Amino acid sequence: MIQHIDVHAVLQESVSGVYTDLVTRPTGRVVRECIERAMATGAAEVAVARIDFTRVGCIDYSCADEIVAKLLRSRPGVLVLMGVSDGHREEIEPVLAGHRLAVLIERPDGTLEAVGAPDAAAALLEELVARRLAARSPGGTLTLT
Amino acid sequence: MTRLVEVPAQFDDRSFDQFASAFAEAAKDGERLLFDAHAAEWASPYGLVGLLAAGQAARGAGGGSGGSGERPLLTAPTHADVLTYWTRAGFFREAAELFEIHGKVPRVKAAEESDVLLPVTPVRAAEDVHAVVSNIQQRASAILASELGLEPKATMGFAMALSEACQNIVEHAGTGGWVAVQAYHWRRKLAKRVVVIAVADAGVGFRHSLEPTQSKRFGTRWGDAAALEAALIQGVSRFRDPGRGQGLAGIRRYLARWDGKIAIRSGTARIAIVPKWDDDVPLKDGLPAFPGAQVLIIIPEQGSTKR
Repeated sequence: MIQHIDVHAVLQESVSGVYTDLVTRPTGRVVRECIERAMATGAAEVAVARIDFTRVGCIDYSCADEIVAKLLRSRPGVLVLMGVSDGHREEIEPVLAGHRLAVLIERPDGTLEAVGAPDAAAALLEELVARRLAARSPGGTLTLT
Repeated sequence: MTRLVEVPAQFDDRSFDQFASAFAEAAKDGERLLFDAHAAEWASPYGLVGLLAAGQAARGAGGGSGGSGERPLLTAPTHADVLTYWTRAGFFREAAELFEIHGKVPRVKAAEESDVLLPVTPVRAAEDVHAVVSNIQQRASAILASELGLEPKATMGFAMALSEACQNIVEHAGTGGWVAVQAYHWRRKLAKRVVVIAVADAGVGFRHSLEPTQSKRFGTRWGDAAALEAALIQGVSRFRDPGRGQGLAGIRRYLARWDGKIAIRSGTARIAIVPKWDDDVPLKDGLPAFPGAQVLIIIPEQGSTKR
């Protein structure tokens, strides 16, 4: 089962109904803890958690570290980010590279890309295929099964 | 007795050391201070937030021989245009709490549509950073894209840089501070438009913040300059969490891409990442002491500069 988590909704409910930006460590911490609680409720059946950044304004390094990097470090399951803009990606990627971590990003066409530290990214894609959570198309792109 | 601190006529990062020297000299015996800005002709956002930080420090130090917390005095600029600009930039709204102001301050609102992208705004807590980032994205996106030629995604990076610079106050200063953002045509250096972010506080400064975790590593070299080097160049933080210290590194990466500049002054030192278009000094030590930290970020108009 794939669990869907709307980060914008989490931000609005947990921190502020006004702001759409993921900035500051306290905000990142609160949002991550909400996501962790949501994941914990369905942990037994969930193979993949899809973290949706649609409608999130900007994300700073503090939030990228506090949310994405710490979720990756704490959760053994598979995380897939979606709704990630070029601007989001520019902040998330160096944070993950600094931690030697990688995360999957699902593009609007459904194909997957691993971003972060190159070694970790390659290992992540291999693991995904090995666990049959994703399949390769004839063109070589990966999509969730 | 009241001690005089003259505000430079052209008050920006280049004249700040002159101001800091006057401040350090006047503040050493704990008397009430008079900041004299009557002859001011121009002040950059850096000058304005720096003046507020001086007022904060002077008040915190007691502001008088009795240590009563008496507010320092400030004589407002006499030139009408200067006075109007300082008011539109939001300076007097913040200064009113810190200083006993002498001179007639015009009743104009802080700028809503102008080159003042973000008027002088207090930063005390994480919620303030949210408000700053939200405001700047609404007001600055068009100017960043149309006048500076930055790609839309660079606007998000700009917000990130602003957020991280402000968070330094919240997480490290131990007190509140101020931020201001302005766009202007910079004839002196570039003959181009620039956007300037200025952040200042009168808190504990980088050396004090990093001392418990870093001073042993630097040994006898430890001081304001070493602390700034550790924070900006080596990306160290007072927190042991491995994800910390990325904020300033992120700002550096952003500025490297857009040919920008960052300079941080704290205590008696100042460090800068100097782009090719500037002739600033990368590291200065032995400057007149000034409390807290003052950050200057400059992003120039794109075009002839390489990304």
